[in-house]
Amino acid sequence: MRREVPLLIVFLFGLFMIVQYFIPHAKFAFWYQEFNNWTIIIGIFTMIVGIGSLLSVHYSKIRFRQEGWGYSLVTIVALFGMAIVGLLGGTEGDLFLKLYRFGLSPVTATMFSLLAFFIASAAYRAFRARNVISTLLLAAAVVVMLGRVPIGEILGGWLPRWLQLPNIADFLLNVPNVAAKRAIYIGVGLGVAAVSLKIILGIERTWLGGDGGKR
Amino acid sequence: MDRVKFLIPTFILFIIAISCVPAAAADIVADSAIAILPPNVSDVIVSDKPNDPGGTLVVEWILPDSAALAAMPIKGVNIYLSGNHDGPFELITSLPKSALHYECSDLQDGESYYFKVTATANGLESDGITSAAGIPSGQWFNTERLPILIVVILFSITAITFIIKARGGYDFYVRPIAGIKAVDEAIGRATEMGRPILYVPGLGSAADVATIAAFTILARVAKKVVEYNTRVIVPNYDPVVMAICQEVVKEAYASAGKPELYDPKDVYFITQDQFPYTAAVNGVMLREKPATNFYMGMFYAESLVLAETGFVSGSIQIAGTDQLVQIPFFVSVCDFVLMGEELYAASAYLSREPQQLGTLKAQDLGKVTVVILIIIGVILSTIGMSGFANWFNVG
Amino acid sequence: MSTGQLIGNGIAAFLTLCIFSFLYKDNPFYKFAERLVAGVATGYFTMLLFWTNFIPKVWEPLYERHEIIYIIPTILGIIMWTRFSKKWAWVSRYSIAFYIGIGSGVAVTLALYTYLFKQLQATIAFPISMDVAGINQLLVVVAVLASLIYFFFSTPHKGAFGVASKLGIYVIMIGFGAGFGLTVMGRIALLVNRVIFLKGYLIALFGG
Repeated sequence: MRREVPLLIVFLFGLFMIVQYFIPHAKFAFWYQEFNNWTIIIGIFTMIVGIGSLLSVHYSKIRFRQEGWGYSLVTIVALFGMAIVGLLGGTEGDLFLKLYRFGLSPVTATMFSLLAFFIASAAYRAFRARNVISTLLLAAAVVVMLGRVPIGEILGGWLPRWLQLPNIADFLLNVPNVAAKRAIYIGVGLGVAAVSLKIILGIERTWLGGDGGKR
Repeated sequence: MDRVKFLIPTFILFIIAISCVPAAAADIVADSAIAILPPNVSDVIVSDKPNDPGGTLVVEWILPDSAALAAMPIKGVNIYLSGNHDGPFELITSLPKSALHYECSDLQDGESYYFKVTATANGLESDGITSAAGIPSGQWFNTERLPILIVVILFSITAITFIIKARGGYDFYVRPIAGIKAVDEAIGRATEMGRPILYVPGLGSAADVATIAAFTILARVAKKVVEYNTRVIVPNYDPVVMAICQEVVKEAYASAGKPELYDPKDVYFITQDQFPYTAAVNGVMLREKPATNFYMGMFYAESLVLAETGFVSGSIQIAGTDQLVQIPFFVSVCDFVLMGEELYAASAYLSREPQQLGTLKAQDLGKVTVVILIIIGVILSTIGMSGFANWFNVG
Repeated sequence: MSTGQLIGNGIAAFLTLCIFSFLYKDNPFYKFAERLVAGVATGYFTMLLFWTNFIPKVWEPLYERHEIIYIIPTILGIIMWTRFSKKWAWVSRYSIAFYIGIGSGVAVTLALYTYLFKQLQATIAFPISMDVAGINQLLVVVAVLASLIYFFFSTPHKGAFGVASKLGIYVIMIGFGAGFGLTVMGRIALLVNRVIFLKGYLIALFGG
């Protein structure tokens, strides 16, 4: 019951979703849409489980006055504050939108902008070429970086046209970049298909509770 | 003298007649213009749209021939619809003359419909041609997707064949992958240093196959963690993923006979927003100072932020993702990276179970097939036979 | 800027600086911003889920339109709440099984179509010829084949196979480097945006 029924559910619904891809009839299209809707609905209810976990972690810190309990209080107040505002005023409410605009949005944008610093730091680390592979990665990155800005045209302006940085950058983007993408995608396609079939056939059962697929 | 007298009025009458002819002709032409309608389109055919759920008919027609168009060029067509051959017809759309077909949807399956197509020009409309009855219906098989069905069946048969072979005792060779080999060593390092392990299962949902692959690796990591008496922290982005991760880690402790050591606060939910989640995981890295960081699953722009923070906090980092854009960032910062298909192969590598290795063999056979198809396809395209490439252009 | 906007943007600027402070080291300001935003984000997305998903997909079909079929996903969703009980947590596997079954079934055909068929068709559709485009196409084909060989798991990478595999990983790394380089400028632009915001706020605050 604890293993067999879930495995049967996975098999039946997994098989249905494979089969419906080939059957365009309205009856199958309807159930495809419905089942996808149902997964969203399950996700909605599971959010309560997530919030329960979040509250559990932070409440226990506050209760036992563990290190950083003050910050946990901030999290819980922020969570309930936002939820109450949203519940009473809806997602189009003025206060709700202001809290998003002045509270959440700037942090998201700032975290995103940290990438500028981190990409420079990562590039510097890659530039201390450890081996042939790192050297290739760094060289290609430098060529493409320079080739996409005006200084790249100036630097190699005296070279024959086909050796100038913008043209080499274009070549790197149109040949090895495209080839690498295609090869990895082909591998990913086969890998995803293989893992999905293993899940549907019940060979891959880690999601059930870590038994590693043993029969 | 009499002749001259006769000629002069005749000449005057002739002049008057000549000047009236263009006006008369114009009157005649104008009368004709009012009377002449645009030429009709021809060969109005209506058919059921193939490979659809139903409710759609396709109307096609042919424009008038060049001679008729030269006499009166048409500007567009009007499409009318009725449930009866004799009408009444309702105008449903007007199209430019370049359109040669129209799809009419939201119709009732099994019902008969008639279309009338008229040509329009200069505010005038032709009589129109009425089609035969069209009856929309849904199809039970999408013939355009036949190639995919063939591949699914062949791949499944291959995988099952190798699984059966593996169960029969056949020993499959698999080449070493550095990232997977490093998993056990990284956990050992954490134990020696007395620091926890951080496992980030990515920002995908539990329905994403990359996330499911991450569960497999987590199971292995959790098992080792229990053996070595270390701690594993699993901060989650998705509540369903959190639920599964809790099951996986709990099971690892239970299987080792140490269920009391499992702490559910180590496998927890943070938030379902990308960068607030990243900020929180960064905080965990800086405060808990894990010896080893695992990033397995689906990652997006936050991949570099996580990896860089992990580097700064001095952790060994092993990443695995199928997100192509993020792999370069992981490669430049992490110690080991499982790229694309290697992430999906990890479950076979870590479990070493024959049936898992069997599907790995099927994947390799798939790649051999792809290599052969590429070589054949390129040769055929080069000699002008593009039909082979078009076979893979499925809808 | 009005007073309200000044205060709101002031909070935004403060939180921005709190996050930037992380670049130096972990500190109370970063901790505060991190914990605050975790709570705000969870509250925000929960309310979004409630109003844009729960109401139209669960409440309205069941309560207003009496579509009984929606009892099934509701029950599957409520079953997930058994996670709160140590004794009954295993029941949630039924809902998880449905979730994973749907995802896996969709993934099989979608992966083969998007990742296999599309890439294969793109690789073989163009002919090889003696002009620049044709030679590039030849190089792409060779590079794709070498990269695919790198991902072979069940064959030792030795001899000619090993050479092809080596070429494959070199192609992959060059490709990754090109992708890395392409992304750099985009990321710098994000930082420029935040700096412009802070500058704009300071001008509004002191410059009027």
